[in-house]
Amino acid sequence: MSEKKFLIQDIQDVTNSELLSRVRNLKADEYRLIQICATTKEEGFEVLYSFDKDHIVLNLRLVIGENDEVESVTKEYWHAFIYENEMSDLFGIKFLHNELDYNGHFFKVAEKTPWKNK
Amino acid sequence: MGKRTIIPFGPQHPVLPEPVHLDLVIEDEKVVEAIPSIGFIHRGLEKLVEKKEYTEMVYVIERICGICSFGHGWGYCAAVEGAMDVKVPERAEYLRTIWMELSRMHSHLLWLGLLADGFGFESLFQHCWRIRETILDIFEETTGGRVIFSVCKVGGIRKNINNETLAKIDGILEGIRKDIKEVADVFIEDDSVKNRLVGVGVLTKEDAIELGTVGPVARASGVEQDIRLTGSGVYDEIGFEPIIETAGDSYARCVVRIRELFQSINLIQKSIAKIPDGDIEIPVKGNVTGEFVLRLEQPRGEAFYYAKGFDKGTKFLERMRVRTPTNANIPAMVKTLQNCDLADVPILILTIDPCISCTER
Amino acid sequence: MGTFKIGKLVMKSLFRKPATLMYPVIPRKWQERTRGHISIDEASCILCGICDKKCPTNAITIDKKTRTWTIQRMQCIQCGCCTEVCPKKCLGMEPEYTEPGVSKVVDIFTIPQVEKKANSGTNSSNAGDGELKCNLDECVYCGLCAKNCPVSALEVDRKEKIWKVDKDACITCGVCIDKCPKKCLVIE
Repeated sequence: MSEKKFLIQDIQDVTNSELLSRVRNLKADEYRLIQICATTKEEGFEVLYSFDKDHIVLNLRLVIGENDEVESVTKEYWHAFIYENEMSDLFGIKFLHNELDYNGHFFKVAEKTPWKNK
Repeated sequence: MGKRTIIPFGPQHPVLPEPVHLDLVIEDEKVVEAIPSIGFIHRGLEKLVEKKEYTEMVYVIERICGICSFGHGWGYCAAVEGAMDVKVPERAEYLRTIWMELSRMHSHLLWLGLLADGFGFESLFQHCWRIRETILDIFEETTGGRVIFSVCKVGGIRKNINNETLAKIDGILEGIRKDIKEVADVFIEDDSVKNRLVGVGVLTKEDAIELGTVGPVARASGVEQDIRLTGSGVYDEIGFEPIIETAGDSYARCVVRIRELFQSINLIQKSIAKIPDGDIEIPVKGNVTGEFVLRLEQPRGEAFYYAKGFDKGTKFLERMRVRTPTNANIPAMVKTLQNCDLADVPILILTIDPCISCTER
Repeated sequence: MGTFKIGKLVMKSLFRKPATLMYPVIPRKWQERTRGHISIDEASCILCGICDKKCPTNAITIDKKTRTWTIQRMQCIQCGCCTEVCPKKCLGMEPEYTEPGVSKVVDIFTIPQVEKKANSGTNSSNAGDGELKCNLDECVYCGLCAKNCPVSALEVDRKEKIWKVDKDACITCGVCIDKCPKKCLVIE
């Protein structure tokens, strides 16, 4: 019986400046992007990037302040546009150099950035 | 050089099971570009985590979607159990796997019916759904509900199935195996169906890997990826191999799902043969701290669950994130829609099996 | 030749009986475990209020002054939590669904008042009867009874070895009796 791969939990912290170079290395290593999600904390947000290779998950955690801007990873992984647009619509996180930016109109919400700490 | 027009597709359309909006840029009946936009069913369910304790949140998470309902319940409970470091008994894992495979069968039969309806073959649609009714009756007999089961809880499951009922389920499945074969033969061999599906919407293997596709859409393009190999549930004990096709067109996606139907029947029969006796739950007390990442193979692909408790530990979770497979397949859909005929647009949207209420919880 | 492959299926269904039921002329057969609606055995209810707290959609309301147990049928999601936590097991899940209607259905049940008997002594399941007593020789002051009391009527202090019950607040639901590891609590 093989070892249970889903029990391997790997979460690494990363800073805003080294995010893009880490992601480029992972892309060169043939990792697949699974998802990007954000959690609201008291001061700022915590963004979690998840990657997968051979069915083992690797997570990167990025802690940012409320008005920080994050480099978009859409140049490496084009399909990240869905997650980044959703985060900018719901949380108000700004992404730089997004290749497919809906400018706040991806999600039809009744009030702007409903999940941000007001 | 033709003139370009923009046609809005959706959110209301007879072929779509759920509302999604696409702006199609067309030039003389050929689609040049497609721009998706979603948000019609956004209910903000993940934000309810602030108001409902972790034992009650399972009822909210189950209701994200009607078709993949059991998968979400299992994913949430397993993520919270991982964060609290709780191991469920063997019998509970077997029963969860059996219900998940039955869910997969009912979802694929539903999709086959919708696909037939998509190209106008209504009698085939009704025959597929007639077979699906026997599976819904099995659900009602074992869990009490046809669509929303409310049978998973943190620490195990709430209702047991005794061995006579399991033997009866085995008999029922053997009986519908013949019925499914008759319907599957129509999909695979009929000329009129093949004319609509073969060669339409080809997704190459490199594109599938580049765009991060998951589920049967990726497996139909030759990518070997199935989360059932990671070990949640009891798939490694009953033996499991993913089903791969290489053509990458809509016909291959249809064939992958039909073969998965037969594979699910075999998996359920093997689990029923091997299920051990024992408890079905362990009591779970206390607060949630810690975080856990879990992935499950839903009928539509890979679903990602992330549960995080507060550092000081309360009965409320800080964040619950569900990323569903349709969310990952939308870029692939946009890519296959480029350079296709306008009449093929509904079929291409249906072949990725869109479950928009999952995408936008 | 791959034409009209569905012919065999169509011929068969011409001669089979239909798969659908002539509902509502022929009534539907309910399965045993179907989660339809909640029913209550009024005689056993002691108005403890645990079902009110545990309901995830707040469909159940308990009013102790007027002795009523109210359920909003359209708010109930038939999850079955209330049936599992009721200490007297007076709630049950029946298989018939609530009929669809044009207005929201609210069902109110009145819980009958039970006369207090002079010498009970028997294991009567009457509501609101008797007093909670603790065998202090066996008690280890663990505090589990106080933590699980739904009305916070118990006070336990491990260091000072104090065990107190507020008799006015106590509703004699019996949850503390189930939780006590030394089985030193009794209602009589």
